[in-house]
Amino acid sequence: MRWRFLLALLPFVLGLFASVLIHFLGTSPVFFARADAAALAVLAGAFLSSLLAAGLGVSGLLERVRRTSLAQAQTQAAADRRRFLQRLDHELKNPLTALRAALANLAEASAEEDRCKALRDMEGQIQRLSRLVSDLRKLAELETRPIEHTPIDLNGLLEEALALARERPEAADRHLTLTLPRAPWPLPAITGDRDLLLLAVHNLLDNALKFTRPGDTVELRAFEDGTTVVVEVADTGPGIPEEEVPHVWEELYRGQGARGTPGSGLGLALVRAIVLRHGGQVSLRSRFGQGTVVTLRFPTR
Amino acid sequence: MTRPRILLVDDDVAITENLASFLQRAGFDVTVAADGEAALREIACLRPDLVILDVLMPRLDGREVLRRLRQAGDWTPVLLLTQVGESTERAMALDEGADDYLNKPFDPYELVARIRAILRRARPGQPPLTVARALVSGFLRLDRLSRRVYLEGRELMLTPKAVALLEYMMTHPDELLTRERLLDAVWGWEYPAGTRTVDTRIAELRRALGDDAAQPRYIETVPGQGYRFIAPVETGP
Repeated sequence: MRWRFLLALLPFVLGLFASVLIHFLGTSPVFFARADAAALAVLAGAFLSSLLAAGLGVSGLLERVRRTSLAQAQTQAAADRRRFLQRLDHELKNPLTALRAALANLAEASAEEDRCKALRDMEGQIQRLSRLVSDLRKLAELETRPIEHTPIDLNGLLEEALALARERPEAADRHLTLTLPRAPWPLPAITGDRDLLLLAVHNLLDNALKFTRPGDTVELRAFEDGTTVVVEVADTGPGIPEEEVPHVWEELYRGQGARGTPGSGLGLALVRAIVLRHGGQVSLRSRFGQGTVVTLRFPTR
Repeated sequence: MTRPRILLVDDDVAITENLASFLQRAGFDVTVAADGEAALREIACLRPDLVILDVLMPRLDGREVLRRLRQAGDWTPVLLLTQVGESTERAMALDEGADDYLNKPFDPYELVARIRAILRRARPGQPPLTVARALVSGFLRLDRLSRRVYLEGRELMLTPKAVALLEYMMTHPDELLTRERLLDAVWGWEYPAGTRTVDTRIAELRRALGDDAAQPRYIETVPGQGYRFIAPVETGP
């Protein structure tokens, strides 16, 4: 917005221009004016006052606009925080309830078999809580920790992500494919943190495998689009209801269809945080009953 | 053989009570201190073989306790329990002279494994490798301040993560380091693709070091378990 101050120089430049013009015309008429000091004082005062009033008016207006947008941002942040805490409360309640139940069983169990089962259940719930804490920490760290900026061979990375996905039991009865461009040239390299990017693609494939049914197709593909590289994970799964799509990137958000499927509700939030740290963008399109595609865009330089 | 004496410092009673009895069963003689000031007093009169130090504590935090110990030339082995997993925090833990660190929440069995490794490595009265400015092993030299690695005087081009991995391995030589431990110590995160992430960086290191996995000079694979830095490591100038 600095250039706006250049506007103030416009009258001066015009005056300069006129002065040069008059000078070269050769006839520079001389004007005289008479005014008494009393009138001049009033005029000068009025002139300065109006100048001040204009300045104050403009800055007041700017200040009001700034305050309103700040207040809006604060309201939004407060709402986000409240929603996050509610979801966190919910995510903690379930494992804690299960732990209390298992503990009660353990106290009352007499048979060795029952004791073992209670201990196994408690172990499982503790792992669930640990995962939640660890994912929350990752999210918090991702905003501040320095990330690597080394050139990454995306082909190798995507092949590795695919190999990892194939190790999941669900992969056996899904059509899992990877499409990479070869012509006219292969994918350009992008710079970033390879471990984090692998985690992001892995999370997306994991979701796709988790929510699709046997016989469904899961496609991992990448292509170049101008100065960006696009990575997509698409599936023919159950899709996400339209009203849920805007919320999928939020921390701890769990859609109706995700209830009953294990997960912390932080997977996509992590993907988003990773991609944003790489200067990229994320988007998700879905049709309920048809499938979902998640698109990641990375700048090539 | 006498039981090693361990001072456990944490302000959370739930943690000290459970860990102390677990460590006692594992064969250690455990004393508990609830804050940093008490820790310094206990270290002075108890002369423990190892101190387990929590970072976040009232009055005097673990970091400050460690700093005061080292400034006084006391090289009692210290295992730091870091709360925040930030990589800078971990790097600081090593810089300030901790022998090793564990991220909370940790597996108590891993704690015992760490304790045993530190006790085995400890050189009484001498600073640990973790405070060395440079680590030297044969023709390999890692300058910790500038984060540069040299092999036979020639600088190696390594990613920052590979340097951090090599640094951790060289400060813990001749120690079986599981992939999980390396992930936790160097990356600070669990990755779903975790073990493979470690393998990728180890491969990068081996390529740069010209190390043959079948006949390694530096990094040995322990099948089904992890890796070990097999060459002797010394403090460099």
